[in-house]
Amino acid sequence: MNDRLLALVSLYGAPALFGIVAIAAVGVPLPITLLLILAGSMISQNAMNFWWAIAAAGAGSILGDQAGYAIGRWGGAGAVEKLSRRLGARESVRAMEAKAQAWGGPGIFITRCLLTPLGPWINLASGTAGYPWHRFLFWDALGELTGAAVYISLGRYFSDRVMALSAVLGDMSWAVVALIAALIFGYWLLSHLRRPRAR
Amino acid sequence: MRENWRRTLIVGLAFVLATAGTFVFAYRAGRQAQYLRAADEPIRAWMSVPFIAHAHHVPAAVLFQAIGVAPRQPRDRRSVRHLAHDLNRPVPEVIAQLQRALDAAAHPSGGQPR
Repeated sequence: MNDRLLALVSLYGAPALFGIVAIAAVGVPLPITLLLILAGSMISQNAMNFWWAIAAAGAGSILGDQAGYAIGRWGGAGAVEKLSRRLGARESVRAMEAKAQAWGGPGIFITRCLLTPLGPWINLASGTAGYPWHRFLFWDALGELTGAAVYISLGRYFSDRVMALSAVLGDMSWAVVALIAALIFGYWLLSHLRRPRAR
Repeated sequence: MRENWRRTLIVGLAFVLATAGTFVFAYRAGRQAQYLRAADEPIRAWMSVPFIAHAHHVPAAVLFQAIGVAPRQPRDRRSVRHLAHDLNRPVPEVIAQLQRALDAAAHPSGGQPR
């Protein structure tokens, strides 16, 4: 499957890139980083235009992200509300949504260009949390265009090492995800152990 | 109390796992980055001949000739799988032929290795 997608981008260039990143942004797990690096490599071989590649990747991802946000906002909000009422956790869900709104911008930005596997979930969460659409669009566009520009430029620079670069970036992404998880768990543990015990 | 202790244990284990994961992935990324320029790019079925030629710094014409294909256009970007299908040959066979052509270009007979 992934092989065929890579071959499609290699053969049809920017239009194929647009379609594939749009599908991935909705939540289908596709090797987007590798595709962007490949696009960069094709640019260095004069097989694709740099600005067209960024526009295609950026527009495709923004379109997919907006679809994810819309599902969360207009399709999922009712379901989340019902579920939280049934579980009796309405207040805590509200508190989480408030946090999502407070941290939304930088969170949206970083999941577009660094923690990309979390992107589709953040789209849904932003929708269900009622994060303002115009702000979501701003951070989304900023993050997606930055991410596309960074990965395509890296691919352009390391145009003869596409697979190796993709492996390095993949491991780096997972290292960052694991580090954030370690920080969250560590913080929880520390605050829990320091809490005075009620007898 | 017991529930509390169990939750602490689970979060503690998750913390240890996440910390270990951070080090393992960071180490792997660092090691691969160190050899990024020296790493050999393997041939995959999705790659086009001009792409393989670019990755190995060999003229594309040499590779097209090695597999007996006349490029349809100056930049024929059909994948190895596509070419194998057109040639009615198995993909691994075409990859092996391309690899031999790359090896021959890297170590020309009678010449010094590149």
